[in-house]
Amino acid sequence: MDALVAAVIHDAKNALMALDARLAEAESRPVSTDFATLRGSLARIAQELAELLTLYRAQQGALRLAIDDHDLLDFLDELALELGPPPEGIALKLDRAAAQRIGAWAFDAHLVRLALADALRNALRHAKTRVTLSLDQPAGGGIRFIVQDDGPGFPAPLLAGEEQVASAGGTGLGLLFARLIAAHHATPDGRHGRLELANDGGAVFSLYLP
Amino acid sequence: MNLSGLTGLLIDDNNDMRAALRAQLSAAGLERCDTARNVKEAVDRVSRQRYDLIVCDYNLGQGADGQQFLELVRRKQLLPLSCAFLMVTGENGYEQVATSAEYAPDDYLLKPFTADTLATRLTRILDKKAALQPIYRWLGKKPDHTKAIAACDELLAAGGRYSLDALRLKGELLLAAHRAEEARALYASVLAQRATPWASVGEARALIALGEEAAARERLERAIEAYPNYLAAYDALAQILLKADKAAAQAVMEQALKVAPSTQRTREVGTLAFEMGDYARAEAAYQRVVDKDRTGFFKSHDDYALLAKSRLEQGKTAEALAAVKDMGAAFARSPELEARQAALECQAHAKAGNGAAAQAALERALVIQAASSLDPHAALEVAQACFAGGKPEDAKEIIRHVAENHHEDDAMLARAQAVFARAGLHDEGTLFLEATKKRMIKLNNDAVALAKSGQLDEAIAMLTEAADRLTNNAQIALNAALALLMHVQRAGGDEMALARARGYIAQAKAANPEHPRLIELTNLYRKLAPPDAPPLEEA
Repeated sequence: MDALVAAVIHDAKNALMALDARLAEAESRPVSTDFATLRGSLARIAQELAELLTLYRAQQGALRLAIDDHDLLDFLDELALELGPPPEGIALKLDRAAAQRIGAWAFDAHLVRLALADALRNALRHAKTRVTLSLDQPAGGGIRFIVQDDGPGFPAPLLAGEEQVASAGGTGLGLLFARLIAAHHATPDGRHGRLELANDGGAVFSLYLP
Repeated sequence: MNLSGLTGLLIDDNNDMRAALRAQLSAAGLERCDTARNVKEAVDRVSRQRYDLIVCDYNLGQGADGQQFLELVRRKQLLPLSCAFLMVTGENGYEQVATSAEYAPDDYLLKPFTADTLATRLTRILDKKAALQPIYRWLGKKPDHTKAIAACDELLAAGGRYSLDALRLKGELLLAAHRAEEARALYASVLAQRATPWASVGEARALIALGEEAAARERLERAIEAYPNYLAAYDALAQILLKADKAAAQAVMEQALKVAPSTQRTREVGTLAFEMGDYARAEAAYQRVVDKDRTGFFKSHDDYALLAKSRLEQGKTAEALAAVKDMGAAFARSPELEARQAALECQAHAKAGNGAAAQAALERALVIQAASSLDPHAALEVAQACFAGGKPEDAKEIIRHVAENHHEDDAMLARAQAVFARAGLHDEGTLFLEATKKRMIKLNNDAVALAKSGQLDEAIAMLTEAADRLTNNAQIALNAALALLMHVQRAGGDEMALARARGYIAQAKAANPEHPRLIELTNLYRKLAPPDAPPLEEA
């Protein structure tokens, strides 16, 4: 990867945005097209490009997080808005009560939103009936975002810690990305974030932020 | 979520993006929306009209960016606190926007985003601004920190969803009001709950104010480690280091510059390098300042002058003269520009041992100086040239005039002192400027004493003579107005005296619209002037 790749990615993202606006315009007219799918794939391209760009920056030693306070309820609402309605037959539940209880937290909202949106899209693809995003404050400080589904769970090699960047379904990039940005979150007293994967009646994705 | 009924300004240099954003804003109900393609158009717009919201792209082309625009309009107070400012950015600009310390946008949004997201963010900012309005109303052009802090406390007592914002604002206000102990307690209570950069840096700033610099330094170093993008941490650390270890301060400033390569930061690094005698580094910094901004909107005569001088100090006469020439091409012609160019040319030629050329340039500078009333910065440059060209008496005369006009302005006096220091006359400069300052204070005191002892005519004569000579000294003009109004108060309606007083108040306002006594004199005039007298413009 070199700077040119980053520049091309950047351009592509702008093109995507213009296209998205056009779609929104067309959507307001009564035409029968499957816009939801169109926009779904657009969102996914944008997501992957953004993750790729972040990985590239980390590789160049140029990734610096923009940590500031964010209202967790606003954060969840925006995440839901970005994801759109879940596929038919699958319920998506966000733990808004916990977000409201904790209030605000300091983190890089852009990068964490990308990581969670990816984890949620992934869970929605594999779930049988439901996906939940819950939130708590584990002992020892920090907060934890938990994405849980009732699908077949993570494949064993993945739980064993093997990276599968080019795996079918593209989950590898998302997990690599989530792990990277969790580790980049830190506090002045030296605590760091981390990612934990487990299976418990489906896949459990836990993103810890210090 | 509806923005109808509001007025907006959209700033983007890219036609396609502008059309796309305009469509999104319109979908959110915003019908009254002006557009600007560049910084110049945008500044024109905000100077003429108040907007409820501004959506600005980070990348504005020609080396200009939205952050520079925001800093400019905030510094010039063209943007009321109630106006929502949303920055739109790609991944490349996002770090700059998310880290800006002093002039941060209210929020920022990364491309791509949907119309819904855009509308949600704008509504949220406007909502928050409305909730914080009871605090903002005390933070206009003449901030009242005590009342603003009381307003924060009221909002905090009421609870609600903007409590955290009120708390954060309160910390800043306590620091601004020199209530450092309370600020420290506030930040410590936040940090006891969770780690967050604003409280870490706030606590360190409170510690600096309390004189506990070692503790502050240790905290800031750890904060920078954890939050390498949080510029306020670098700024506070550099502030500590500047007193004790300029080289270390410089290293921190360079580090911050890597995080956010803003023009203002580059300029600060250059100025410090110049003060430290690190002229190669100063040259590189000023080179970046003048190169980056191809619009010419954010650079000043000073930038070129310091570029020329840092080259000169390294013996690069031809390059220094080239910078002076570039300066002429970068700005519109004015007496200030031409006087500065001639003054810098004189210094360059003098340094290179080219006496005749130096004298010719100095003559040009002095002709302009005599014919126009130059701004103090240009005048001090001419004074520097006088020292370089062997005319120290002319130099001192110019500096005397500047110092008498600005005897209340410490930054200007420091600048005047720097002219002496560069001419190798540091001690003489200190004495000279001290004496000037004392003379001005004595003049004011003597006149006030005369007035109080009933010798009003003598006081009026003394102050009006000084005010007519020193047209940029707000204090003298205000005292002249006061003496004239006291005369009106005593002797009754004297149209002539009233008219003269009005003239001096206007003169003071032009010299320093922020002068603390301006309101008092304006009110006194209004009280004494008959209803049919010409009104004063709003102070």
